[in-house]
Amino acid sequence: MTNEIVTKTKWFWAWQDEKEEIWLTEMAHQGLHLDNVPFPGRYQFKSGEPADYVYRLDYQSLKTKDKVSYLQLFADAGWENVGEMGGWMYFRYKVTNGEAPEIYSDRESKIGKYQRVMLYLIIFLPIMILLMNNATSADGYGLFSKILQGLAALLMLLYSFAMIQLIIRISKLKKTN
Amino acid sequence: MEDKSISKHLPLTEATYYILLALVTPKHGYAVMQEAEEISQGTLRLAPGTIYGAFTSLEKNKLISMVGTEGRRKIFQVTETGIRVLLGQIQRMEIMLQSAGNNFDLWQQVTAEEE
Repeated sequence: MTNEIVTKTKWFWAWQDEKEEIWLTEMAHQGLHLDNVPFPGRYQFKSGEPADYVYRLDYQSLKTKDKVSYLQLFADAGWENVGEMGGWMYFRYKVTNGEAPEIYSDRESKIGKYQRVMLYLIIFLPIMILLMNNATSADGYGLFSKILQGLAALLMLLYSFAMIQLIIRISKLKKTN
Repeated sequence: MEDKSISKHLPLTEATYYILLALVTPKHGYAVMQEAEEISQGTLRLAPGTIYGAFTSLEKNKLISMVGTEGRRKIFQVTETGIRVLLGQIQRMEIMLQSAGNNFDLWQQVTAEEE
């Protein structure tokens, strides 16, 4: 029971951060407390007593020298950093008065988080275009090029879908008060 | 009239206003969170992500600057430009308050509807 490591595999897309937060909170209610995210889709938990933790994910592309003060600010405010994966920062907060706390207290700053995710994705746009170009101009008869074309199309579809989801998320946030 | 270099930062959001006000004296992020809650009489509770983002953009716009460290914490203070932006905001808020008070008929209607 004490501090046994439990590993779970579950996939969340970049626009499903709130779903991921809920899932991690549910795990904590079952006594599984996030300890590490070794690679995307892989979660390491320490098992222990069920606890009322709230999980929140932030997205930041921080320079190493800025990360220290960033994490210190969150720690001062009662947020424990329990993992980091590709710019996503995992925080948890021990709920004491039944109030679920947030890491963003206004709309503008919450929109800023999703804009940073989008900015990160936009960096890949030239690579995506190059990939599409190469795939479509490849000799269309071989099995290998067929697979490559399919893969490129799938990737492009996913990329567009991610962008659309993020745009929807941002515009929803802009509408709510 | 307002200076263009000042008015381009206006109006400030509620969070930015209290952050600048708190940073008239040097403080780290968490101290700003506490100060803002106190001086806003509990109406503004800043979360760490919001503070961090505000600090980053205020520093980029040179309204605040880092003046030191305290352990792992960065200490910031409002710059001269920051003070002028803050004063510009206060002036705008004074105009807002006056505009309500000066228009007596309108003011009476507003308060009557409240009752």
